[in-house]
Amino acid sequence: MPNDHKPEIGSTIVIQKETFNAILSRLKEKGYETIGPRVKNDTLIYAPIEQMDDLPRGYITEQDAARFHLKHTGHSRYFDAIPGAQSWKQFLFPPRAELFALRKVNNLWEASTPETKTPSYAFIGVRACELAAIQIQDNIFMRSDFNDPIYRARRERVFILSVDCMYPAGTCFCVSMETGPRVKAGFDLNLTELEDVFLLTVGSEIARDLLKGIPFELASAFLLRNADQGLERAASQMGRKLDISNLPDLILNNLDHPHWQEVGARCLSCTNCTQVCPTCFCWDATDEMSLDGKETHRERVWDSCFNPGYSYQAGGNTRPTIRSRYRQWLSHKLGTWKQQNGTLGCVGCGRCITWCPAEIDLTKEIPMLQEEAR
Amino acid sequence: MSDVLQETFKELQKIPWFQELEKKHLEKLASVTTLRHVRADEVLFHEGDKEDCLYIVLSGRIALEIFIPHRGKIRIYTVEPQDVFGWSSVTPVVHQRTAGATAVVDGLIACIDSEKLRKICEEDHDLGYMVMRRLANVVASRLLVTRLQLLDMFAHPESQNAK
Amino acid sequence: MVTQQIARPAAINTEHLLEPQWAEVTSITKEINDVSTYWLKFTDPAIQKAYTFEPGQFNMLYMPGFGESAISICSDSNDHSKIGHSVRFVGNVTNAIGRLKVGDVIGLRGPFGTYWPMKELEGKDVFISCGGIGLPPLRPAIYHILHNREKYGKVTLLYGARTPADLMYTNEFDDWRKANIDVQVTVDRGDSSWTGRVGVVPMWFYQFRFDSRKTAVLTCGPEIMIHFVIYEALARRIPLESIFVSMERNMKCGQGSCGHCQLGPYFICKDGPVFRFDAIQPFFNVEEF
Repeated sequence: MPNDHKPEIGSTIVIQKETFNAILSRLKEKGYETIGPRVKNDTLIYAPIEQMDDLPRGYITEQDAARFHLKHTGHSRYFDAIPGAQSWKQFLFPPRAELFALRKVNNLWEASTPETKTPSYAFIGVRACELAAIQIQDNIFMRSDFNDPIYRARRERVFILSVDCMYPAGTCFCVSMETGPRVKAGFDLNLTELEDVFLLTVGSEIARDLLKGIPFELASAFLLRNADQGLERAASQMGRKLDISNLPDLILNNLDHPHWQEVGARCLSCTNCTQVCPTCFCWDATDEMSLDGKETHRERVWDSCFNPGYSYQAGGNTRPTIRSRYRQWLSHKLGTWKQQNGTLGCVGCGRCITWCPAEIDLTKEIPMLQEEAR
Repeated sequence: MSDVLQETFKELQKIPWFQELEKKHLEKLASVTTLRHVRADEVLFHEGDKEDCLYIVLSGRIALEIFIPHRGKIRIYTVEPQDVFGWSSVTPVVHQRTAGATAVVDGLIACIDSEKLRKICEEDHDLGYMVMRRLANVVASRLLVTRLQLLDMFAHPESQNAK
Repeated sequence: MVTQQIARPAAINTEHLLEPQWAEVTSITKEINDVSTYWLKFTDPAIQKAYTFEPGQFNMLYMPGFGESAISICSDSNDHSKIGHSVRFVGNVTNAIGRLKVGDVIGLRGPFGTYWPMKELEGKDVFISCGGIGLPPLRPAIYHILHNREKYGKVTLLYGARTPADLMYTNEFDDWRKANIDVQVTVDRGDSSWTGRVGVVPMWFYQFRFDSRKTAVLTCGPEIMIHFVIYEALARRIPLESIFVSMERNMKCGQGSCGHCQLGPYFICKDGPVFRFDAIQPFFNVEEF
């Protein structure tokens, strides 16, 4: 192929797996910080990766309610392992962000904003559910009436290299939520891992430019069918499922259902689910003042509707019980979110099930509202 | 009907509830009712007084008060035109007034002798039923108001027991 | 649902999240024991000039080192020289506001939220029923009516507080009466020097005649009072669409982003605080929602 040939948007090319290192290098040359899944302390995190071998090659994750086991089986694939507790949300919507600092000068406050440069991330290995979650958060942080400058600055720069899931884990239910396992749109490059090669579907001009000069071939019909079969098999092997045909009404019509009491008794209000959930977006702003009262700085931090102080206001707490806070989370995520944003808030990634120490599984809790409904 | 009775009858007729009564019932009630003008600050009865009348305010305002040592007289309720007070004389819980009643402004009240009221209700159960039904309404609505006052909904949040 | 909001609040910073504009305290009016009104004017005259609000909206007032508090604007929306906020001292931030003196500076972001539908109410009888610290967010609506009295029918204010000493803005009531607003007052408990009504706000509805076809009810105050005011209004066949409530929840950002103020699908800060009752009715009686 001539050196300046670029694949068309929408086309799928096939590359040898080693070539992927060249793509990572090019991303770095263009100034991106390449972030991908890495093994650390018996779990998977999202951290900077330099080259392919940093990826969790040969690993799988076994997941169930309150159970996560990273296992090395020695297989040869790079992208099998379904992610751990972390999601991409921490990069676009950082857990802590300095907003501004104030200094008191002659009874007035002078503001200064942090000098830090907005990072340009390249997300390597975004699953379909995770991409759907990013798109949901886009809808929340970048609206016509309100646009979060921190989120927007990072989101504008981000390069998304998504990956099709071929081997879902025990708590996955993206099929039920209609978000996966196939990545549909919103990526720069989408990767499908077959046994010997990578397929890359081109999604943007930036991706086209990135691939310029890399030797490629268009993927044959055989390889594409291979990929389809892998995805079909993945779709049939989901660890969980959830009937969403009667949502959000099933929840919103059963806000006084006795089952909330039952779940409330088990829930610890530990906020794990909201931290690992890739669509949860609640935040708080804190002030830290110097002892002499002349300087202060304001930070934005993640918050959770499970925190007891979340709904506290003068006059008391509107959600003093764990039952009411659990109900708020679930009735928002799979209920009122629809009216707010046009879609349900859950993408079926299963993290809340895996990382709940009390083994609460929303795919089991929601059908309970149907059974005992009086 | 005597002049006094006629006047009483006319005043009672102005009250919506009394308009529902048959003429003969209204006449019976009027016969046990006296009208009384009150002046501002006039005390109608004190806590602890023996009960004798059920009252209806026709015009003006009557304040119900309870005296608490160290705190003084607290005004717990004001009775406005068409409202009833002193109903405990008809359904007694304790055999004396549980609060004092003072006229806040000049006004006109109807006093129904509770002993005589009881007698005519005994003799005419139809009338008795209407009267008791009406009193049940008064008590129910007063209970709701008292509950809301008890909730102290305007209290300063720090003093409320909610965290 | 009342949906209007001001398209571009004058006092916010779109590039720096939560960074406020600054306003000077020009005067402080002590209202009742734990409430004072702070009259603010932006230190930047251009912002003061550009700043407008609608009755029912609120500002986020920022005390550096303490945080922000959502405070309803209680002044006349026609007056562009200053903005009034009646602040009840109940927590860290409001108590810090309570220590401000004239000349001190406070952060301000806003105005936020939906507002009383004054245009929609034209031609109707307006029954304002509120209590305690629920009167401040309604005062701008009353001022608006005063400026446009002929556009409204019978206008009543039924206002209650805990005790006579807790009644706010009492020195204005006679002016309002002169402008043909029926101002009726009640307290939960009184002493022998109080010659007015004693009894909770909702119970006095029976003393008024309502034309349910053309009456709108505006209410604000403790949520329990709002519940009973609405029961009384509904008992008099006032349609759900003619009842407007100003709700309150814990607010942090004021812009529908941080999640704290949600009541069901609504962000009280951007879909409220003023709601038409039919919008929130499904969630109104759900305990701890």
